Amino acid sequence: MLKKLLHKNETYVFFLIIAIGVFINFNNPLFFTFENISGSLKSYSMVGIMAVGTLFVLILGGTDVSFTAIAQVVEYVVVWFTMAHGGNIYMAFLEAAVLGIFLGIINGLIIHYFKVPIIIVTIATFNIYFGLLYVITQGKLLNNIPVVFKDFGNVLLFAQTSKIGGTYGLSLMPLIWLAALLLGWFILRKTMAGRNIFAVGGNEVAAERIGIATLRTRLFVFGFVGFLAGIAAIVHVSIVQSVVPNIIVGKELEVIAAVVIGGASIFGGKGTILGTLLGVLLFAMLNNGLTLLRISSYWYSVTIGAIIIAAISVSAWQKLSKARNNVKVRIEE
Amino acid sequence: MKPTAKLKSNRSLLIILVALVLLMAALNPSRFFAVGNVISMAYQIPIIAFLSLGIMVSMLTGGINLAIISTTNFTGIITIFLLKAMAGTAATSDAPLLASSVALLGGLAAAVGIGALCGVLVAYLEIPAFLVTLGVGTLLNGVNIVITKGYTISGFPQFILDIGNGLVLGIPLPFILFIIVSIFLSFLLSRTVFGVSLYLVGSNPIAARFSNINIRSIYIRQYILSSVFAALTSFVMMGQLNSVKANYADSYLLVAILACFLGGVDPFGGFGKTGGMVIAIIILQLVSTGVNLLRLDPFLTQAMWGFIIIILLATNFVRARMRERRRLGDIKKENRAEEIAPASPRL
Repeated sequence: MLKKLLHKNETYVFFLIIAIGVFINFNNPLFFTFENISGSLKSYSMVGIMAVGTLFVLILGGTDVSFTAIAQVVEYVVVWFTMAHGGNIYMAFLEAAVLGIFLGIINGLIIHYFKVPIIIVTIATFNIYFGLLYVITQGKLLNNIPVVFKDFGNVLLFAQTSKIGGTYGLSLMPLIWLAALLLGWFILRKTMAGRNIFAVGGNEVAAERIGIATLRTRLFVFGFVGFLAGIAAIVHVSIVQSVVPNIIVGKELEVIAAVVIGGASIFGGKGTILGTLLGVLLFAMLNNGLTLLRISSYWYSVTIGAIIIAAISVSAWQKLSKARNNVKVRIEE
Repeated sequence: MKPTAKLKSNRSLLIILVALVLLMAALNPSRFFAVGNVISMAYQIPIIAFLSLGIMVSMLTGGINLAIISTTNFTGIITIFLLKAMAGTAATSDAPLLASSVALLGGLAAAVGIGALCGVLVAYLEIPAFLVTLGVGTLLNGVNIVITKGYTISGFPQFILDIGNGLVLGIPLPFILFIIVSIFLSFLLSRTVFGVSLYLVGSNPIAARFSNINIRSIYIRQYILSSVFAALTSFVMMGQLNSVKANYADSYLLVAILACFLGGVDPFGGFGKTGGMVIAIIILQLVSTGVNLLRLDPFLTQAMWGFIIIILLATNFVRARMRERRRLGDIKKENRAEEIAPASPRL
């Protein structure tokens, strides 16, 4: 049991999180407070939700970079639509889900039928979605966003008053993130669809021969990525309460890095929801910690980069020494 | 997933290129063929070209260099810091020729160092290039931000400005540089042991190892070469923008990867020629120029680039289908002629 845990990426990331958390808290006791943690979780909800989708694509054996563009389009269109025609937050979520799934399915169809690497297709659709959004909207900001989003973003559970007079509490956003994680876990671990994703990602030819519908699996994955991107977009607009048409794009690599640190393989067939959660938590904590330690946010990228290199080097080292040991055993026998 | 739609010939690319030129000629002949327009295109091509060629080099073994943008900015930042150190209290824009060359060499050395680091991680720890360069790129981007504090730093001497803006016999100097470098790269890839080894490692690393190729040394040299292209990009950018910043050319990363695919480079390694890349880059530039000349929204360029890839994928798909059908037809004919049981076609 212990030995098995030692070979898991999640264990290392977990202890890294604990170590960094203790260090930050030692230097600034504000870290381990309800106010700080709930705020930090809230600001990383969007990344966390999109990370679940990225995990699915990584398990399928590729890298999607278009989900930020999908979220950007969904955010703009849904807010614009709500401004023009009204509607409540449930309607907004529904519209976001439908539009997100639609854009995701387009990716899935192109990837399946043209048989090209996921990254190439999604770079192309990234450019198309984002380019057209900018052309059509002319890059205009939407400032007076409907009050439904503001109300939704301001809901606080366990609301309390802080010392300086502001109120704080648990926002709904991290709960949506949690729901996305649970949904992802359920699909991957408890449904046929989830098993099919692992099968196609592990060995597509084998999966096809045992009768798995690869088209349906692909469409499901990319539809799900689009769905999560849509949900993430509503979460994002509810937090920042304005729409800037280029604020989400550019986050792709950070999301992918978080999922990869959590142990997902870029070759497909391997990855867990827990690892994805831990990867995003690590990033959230680093970002928050730099602020609490009064270190300039310029250092964020440096620390993230260093942690990515360290994490991949450790797991590569493990794999290499394991391979070496295997050879040894065989010779002795 | 194996790409059946491998772009082995440049035929579809040339068709797109000719179609674009004809389209431009039909829509706006007076301005499109103006000397000024052609020259301005020649100024713009080298930056995206050097980035794309750098990524292409990394793709030949099935890798990718996601750190190329931060390496580019790092080169520029090291160059201006060296200039500042050497100039002392004097203005960096008055730096003498010797100091400028030393600073450029320093920038180049920095890029080579980064390339070697990526190469060593790929070669010795056997980490996928995607992850190595993602990590190194993120780290380096952070370093760039930290050492410049996010500011734009300007003031380059005339010598460096000339690399980006100079004219020789009426041809922009960066474009001449681009042509020389392309010919050199083409020679390096197809006529030297290193180049051929790259393709071999890309198509079958195990076979390459058994052919007595030092795979590790190939990987390291490959990423150094890729980073040299980042340095070249940086030299042209410094000249044209007269400044450096931590996040210049951020949006070019995805475009450069697109250019590689358009140019026929196989992302899984083993295939890709400089010639195809040059045509692909010119196509991307033509679209951009065309959108500008027609006074359309510049973001339309981005959307059009995406559409071109999808169209290319679709034509390749249709062509592959037609080839398949023809082959199936041939097989049927043969079977009928020889009157044997139909051989099941490999699908």
